[in-house]
Amino acid sequence: MLSKLKVKTAVTILSRINNFFSSIACFSRSIAFLLAALTVNIAQAQETNTYSTSQDFQLHGFVAQGLIDVDGSDFVNDDGELSAELTEIGLNASYQLTSKFRLAGQVVYLDGGNRYAQGARVDYALIDWSALTTENWQVNIYLGRFKNNHWLYSSSRDIPFARPSIILPQSVYFDGFRDIAVGSDGIASKVSYSSDSYGNFDWQFSYGSSPLSDEQTTNVLSELAQGTTEQDYDTQTSLYWQPAFSSWRFGLSLLDATFTYDSAGQGINDAFADSDFSFQFYTLNALYEGEKWEFSGEVYQQRFTIDGFYYPGFELDNIGQGYYLQSRYKLSDKITLLARYEDFYLNKDDKDGKKQEQNTGGLVPYYFGFHKDITLGLNYDITSNFSARMEYHWVRGAGRLTPVVVPNTQINDSEDWQMWAVQLMYWF
Amino acid sequence: MLACLVNPQAVAIEVVTHHQVTDLSLTKSQLRRIYTMRQLYWSDNSTISVFVLPNQHELHQRFSKERLQIFPYQLNRIWHKLTYSGLGVAPTVVGSEQELIQAVINTPGAIGYIDDATLSKIEQSQDENVSTMKVRSQKASVIEKEQKSSKGVVNVVKIKG
Repeated sequence: MLSKLKVKTAVTILSRINNFFSSIACFSRSIAFLLAALTVNIAQAQETNTYSTSQDFQLHGFVAQGLIDVDGSDFVNDDGELSAELTEIGLNASYQLTSKFRLAGQVVYLDGGNRYAQGARVDYALIDWSALTTENWQVNIYLGRFKNNHWLYSSSRDIPFARPSIILPQSVYFDGFRDIAVGSDGIASKVSYSSDSYGNFDWQFSYGSSPLSDEQTTNVLSELAQGTTEQDYDTQTSLYWQPAFSSWRFGLSLLDATFTYDSAGQGINDAFADSDFSFQFYTLNALYEGEKWEFSGEVYQQRFTIDGFYYPGFELDNIGQGYYLQSRYKLSDKITLLARYEDFYLNKDDKDGKKQEQNTGGLVPYYFGFHKDITLGLNYDITSNFSARMEYHWVRGAGRLTPVVVPNTQINDSEDWQMWAVQLMYWF
Repeated sequence: MLACLVNPQAVAIEVVTHHQVTDLSLTKSQLRRIYTMRQLYWSDNSTISVFVLPNQHELHQRFSKERLQIFPYQLNRIWHKLTYSGLGVAPTVVGSEQELIQAVINTPGAIGYIDDATLSKIEQSQDENVSTMKVRSQKASVIEKEQKSSKGVVNVVKIKG
């Protein structure tokens, strides 16, 4: 039984690696300009033989592979078997063109089963204009595809070793929304002010949109949605403040986005009508970093509206709320323990989901109205660049499972579900 | 020759810069800003190149806690965010103390740190002009002869406050 499992897992990993190499083709096209820059740079480096060129060109990346087992939901797979669909590979480059301009790009390959679309994608590809730099001020403008840097872990959500756990709090870092929430094509800015008296301030603003694939459309809406979804725009801003020489940091963020669904029409068996969706999301967060203890948390409110979709003229306006509190303890230089509690409900006027169950005539059970998760984990830093991580989640509710708008109630037939995961991570 | 450059307080870890860097003293806040990548230029507008040892290296751990008064995992969080989100550039990690000092010697605008004992060794080898530091000795000793004042193979930066 176990050996069969091992073989199955090995085969899956091999096919994953195979997929990765086929996606390399995509990668090479995406950052060909950076590779060209590398070639030029190597030539220069050979001439000058100093570290200055390594400062101008930097190449970094990571590889992580894990095993995940979910019992009682379709979070990772539909059959509930142990899965190796926990692969994350990334490669990034940064090239300083002039003292004011820099090119940067990252490609990631992700496989998380049902969590998000499997495959390679451009995580970011941008030109960074350093518009102002003084001893206390830094102003940067980013053009192109940039990452969402507004929430506590939004920029590190798929950087395995930089986030606190293998699976992040799904109420904020919902994998079903990953590709929409992780970044945008457009313009972003960052203004940093560092003062000896008042501490560090970071203000960020971004405006853009994300392309949505058909797979994302079915992930988010329904397996029966045959039309196409487009994000019209996504505007976000955030402010972080770390008082001078303080262990605390505080932040807030605001998001406003709209989407349009174009029905494929009833002729092509699309059960759904044209629709507008809007999404607003507000967060407050705090982070404490002590020598042994680290505490962090985010509280948030979201507003989600639908105009259409189920039938022309249908309207929905839901306000959801949630929070998570997280604590990490450094047992030694190498071992860090994690404990976290997360509580989220999709409609503040229907926290237990009972109204939704009534309104849908029992089609959507009450437990699709919320998501609560208790997580315990352990991280072991084997070397400076190699870590192992394991964690266990006790989850109550199906409010953060895909598809979102038309949930799968057949597989997700229980209120409580659990999962454990282990992951090995290497980075450079 | 370099002895006069050693901080008289004789702390265990020294902050060193490339010999052409004109900022010979930094405040503790400036040093923190440089290592958290919030200050990217020296006072003469030249680019700062920051070098560090791997996270688990004992000297890095001590430098982080004693000189920056930031825990190493906090530096990692800041640097990882810059490196893997495209926001900016993090310090260059080198494998050993020897590589770190070579990087500071060879890179204009470089800043790094060094163990007091290692600095003394360099100082001795410099005095004796022995061949152990061959890689840099030629270039460095020429510069030393030209600038006998406060400029050596590297500058030892005085940290104020």
